[in-house]
Amino acid sequence: MNHELRQPGDDDPIVMTAEERSVWVYLAVVVITSTAYFAVVIPRAVSQPIEDVSWIPPMLWTLGFSIGGTIVGSIVGAIGGAMGLAIRGIDPKGQLEGDLRDKDIKRYGDRRAAVVSGGAMFGVLVLAMIGADLFWIGNLVFLAGTVGGIVETTVKIRAYRRGF
Amino acid sequence: MPPKPTKVTNQIRTLRFASGEMTQADLAERLRVTRQTVIAIEQGKYSPSLEMAFEIARVFKRPLDDVFHYAAGGTDDQPSS
Repeated sequence: MNHELRQPGDDDPIVMTAEERSVWVYLAVVVITSTAYFAVVIPRAVSQPIEDVSWIPPMLWTLGFSIGGTIVGSIVGAIGGAMGLAIRGIDPKGQLEGDLRDKDIKRYGDRRAAVVSGGAMFGVLVLAMIGADLFWIGNLVFLAGTVGGIVETTVKIRAYRRGF
Repeated sequence: MPPKPTKVTNQIRTLRFASGEMTQADLAERLRVTRQTVIAIEQGKYSPSLEMAFEIARVFKRPLDDVFHYAAGGTDDQPSS
């Protein structure tokens, strides 16, 4: 069996860098875990008084799964990308690791997410001023994290695919 | 084909072929970036930093103006003396 890996030619398919794979993983994880969280909490909020709704344990589980899922998914994605190239006989070196463009795209996406975070901060301030239940404050922060994550990843993916 | 997101156009593809059929991967290695970044620059989907632009010009042993062009209209006015 020939184990020689070659440099990719111009006609070889363009693969995602590990950074771009991580962005896709983060988007998938945020959408799945947040959907699961709201599927559990919203029915409770509709059927009982807000102050009685148990929302902290589901949120902690959601955050745990989000962090763990993103880390594991990113590692699996990077290994899968390298293996996919190696199977085709292409050297993964110089194709998967991040570079200046990845950093620029990260900054670009983070700036958009910061707008969402800033808006949420203001909302939290207002809720605290009017003495809203902790349910609303905690869930507004969570919702801002979800929306911010979706905005951030969507902007980054668009930048990777269409340029910026 | 959608419009290119940057106003910077370039001759990198042509210069690569004129430089002994240099591949995207070869150029990427010399610039210490990924092949994807070279492809994005060639396709006008990413404007490189000024430093990287000079590095690219240096690889081809050409002045910067031979490699990159700024395509915005109405900005070529010379300052009056």
